[in-house]
Amino acid sequence: MRDTSRLAAADLLALASLGLRMRRLRAALSALGISIGVAAIVGVLGITQSSQSDLLAQIDRLGTNLLTVQNGRQFNGGEAKLPTAARLMIGHIPAVEHVSATALLTGAVYRSDLVPSYETGGIGVRATDVALLDTLNGRVLHGTFLNAAMANYPATVLGFGAARYLGIDRLDEPTRIWIGRRWFTVVGILEPLPLAPEIDQSALIGWPIAQSALAFDGFPTRIYVWAATDQVGAVDAILGATANPENPEQVAVSRPSDALAARLAVQSSSTTLIIGLGAIALLVGGVGIANVMFVSVLERRSEIGLRRALGATRPQIAAQFLAESLLLSTIGGIIGVAAGTIATAGYATLQGWTILIPPTGWAALIAAIAIGAVAGLYPALRAARLAPTDALRST
Amino acid sequence: MSKAVIELRDVVRRYPGDPPVESLREVTLRVEPGELLAVMGPSGSGKTTLLHIAGTLDRPSSGSVRIDGVDTSSMNDGQLSGFRATRLGFVFQQFYLIEGMTVLDNVAAGLLYRGVDGRQRRRQAAVALERVGLGHRLVHRPAQLSGGERQRTAIARAVVGRPKVVLADEPTGNLDSASGIAIVELLRDLHRDGTTVIVITHSPVVAGAMDRRVELMDGRVERDTGGPSHA
Ligand SMILES: Nc1ncnc2c1ncn2[C@@H]1O[C@H](COP(=O)(O)OP(=O)(O)OP(=O)(O)O)[C@@H](O)[C@H]1O
Ligand SMILES: [Mg+2]
Repeated sequence: MRDTSRLAAADLLALASLGLRMRRLRAALSALGISIGVAAIVGVLGITQSSQSDLLAQIDRLGTNLLTVQNGRQFNGGEAKLPTAARLMIGHIPAVEHVSATALLTGAVYRSDLVPSYETGGIGVRATDVALLDTLNGRVLHGTFLNAAMANYPATVLGFGAARYLGIDRLDEPTRIWIGRRWFTVVGILEPLPLAPEIDQSALIGWPIAQSALAFDGFPTRIYVWAATDQVGAVDAILGATANPENPEQVAVSRPSDALAARLAVQSSSTTLIIGLGAIALLVGGVGIANVMFVSVLERRSEIGLRRALGATRPQIAAQFLAESLLLSTIGGIIGVAAGTIATAGYATLQGWTILIPPTGWAALIAAIAIGAVAGLYPALRAARLAPTDALRST
Repeated sequence: MSKAVIELRDVVRRYPGDPPVESLREVTLRVEPGELLAVMGPSGSGKTTLLHIAGTLDRPSSGSVRIDGVDTSSMNDGQLSGFRATRLGFVFQQFYLIEGMTVLDNVAAGLLYRGVDGRQRRRQAAVALERVGLGHRLVHRPAQLSGGERQRTAIARAVVGRPKVVLADEPTGNLDSASGIAIVELLRDLHRDGTTVIVITHSPVVAGAMDRRVELMDGRVERDTGGPSHA
């Protein structure tokens, strides 16, 4: 038979948009569910991915070579003592490139001698040897680090956090702070040390001046070790016995970069939760679209009858409603991807990260389109199955 | 004997139920090309059913329907749809214009399922609207038209593809008499151009303007003024 019904693809798209244009608000609301789901998935994936790549870059930059040695038995708030020989012994391990001993002292730091003594703040005083900066792979922001000569005098170097806490951001003029019972001149301020946050929050003074002026007994409480890159594990294994041969079990060795790596894992698990919620929003959005499509088919019975009279076949009627549902979910999905991307870009820019939208974000768009297809399928088949006479008699 | 454009033979349309309803009982009707025919009868006598079956929108429970000599009983839904797209034009009492589209696009929709491209559809639709006297209403919405203008739009849509047969179900039922006369004039115009026109009507005035009148009663042909053959 030469008399066949034909419907061009471009016309099908116009037909699909007809229903949406006729009921704009309803279409917008039903697409919103899909948008929210996709935006949540894309945004969360984008933000965690950007943050994780930043963390990885940070770990890369800081290196995983640093190890810290402490006495495992802590007492309230302070750090327990390690043997005085520990630093020297550790220094003999061939794979150790730098080693540095520090000791947390009792005593508070003040901007001046007028600040009441209960305002101790979060700043600790630490005695340190002059190798600390090299061991931590750190840098000074202002001034210099302590050297062997200065270590005998009341001179101090402030961690980044400590300087900020004390309100000291430049050293153009001679600056003094009150430590224990005397003035110390600030000779330097360090850059932030993400792997040694306790140093960040400390005022560092030389080992000899600590002994002479602050009644320091000379026992280290925390030793920093920089191991050769491919030997970190081996060094880690023998540090306890080296630091305290009598009681190796009392020694706690930790690798600060592990804490950063652990944050990666924590983020991944909370990401899974939010993505699950996004997937549920997508499903609910799909139910919403199915609902709207059913209503649309019911309301447009006479249009369906008319189109059948104009020559539309059953598959062409089904295609019209399926295309409408697909268009709805695709628009919702695209808006969701856009919103998620904007959220990611905004947050990453705020945090100074590079923006990363993982390919799984695009999978959310594909899922949205697939949901639109599934949601529209049954209403479309219902529309197609409608007998033309019933459709025309319905009004 | 020339080929009938529509030929119903012993057509029965039965709706299952208790008791079953028969809206057509052994109707035989032969319509020659170019006829201008009115179908009359009281409400419930089966006029709309007859029109749906003659227009392939419905199938008879028994009996046969031939269009242009082709037996429709062996055709599937897709083939019947193709038939409607190319050879038949419908006009309904309720107009069935689509509110989201302009008058022009409503009429152009009459060519949609023939695969005619959009620009060509609109060009032909404008011509059809010109012909029904609505050349100045192309970009209006159906809701902005009077009842008579809407029905003229619906007629333009039915004839835009120059179908062989136009089937109209009470096209003047919702209109005042002046508008109704304008519609009748349009139908007579089509007839003059060689289109076969079948009109269902309750109005004696409309029926009087047609060449042949068929009266239904309880699903049977009660009277046929000019039918060439009876069962
Ligand atoms: N789907 C159906 N199921 C059962 N009965 C039906 C169905 N469709 C139509 N009928 C019955 O068939 C009979 C004829 O209906 P039809 O619509 O053809 O009448 P009509 O002559 O067009 O009437 P009107 O002038 O009121 O439009 C009626 O009694 C109607 O109730
Ligand atoms: Mg009727």
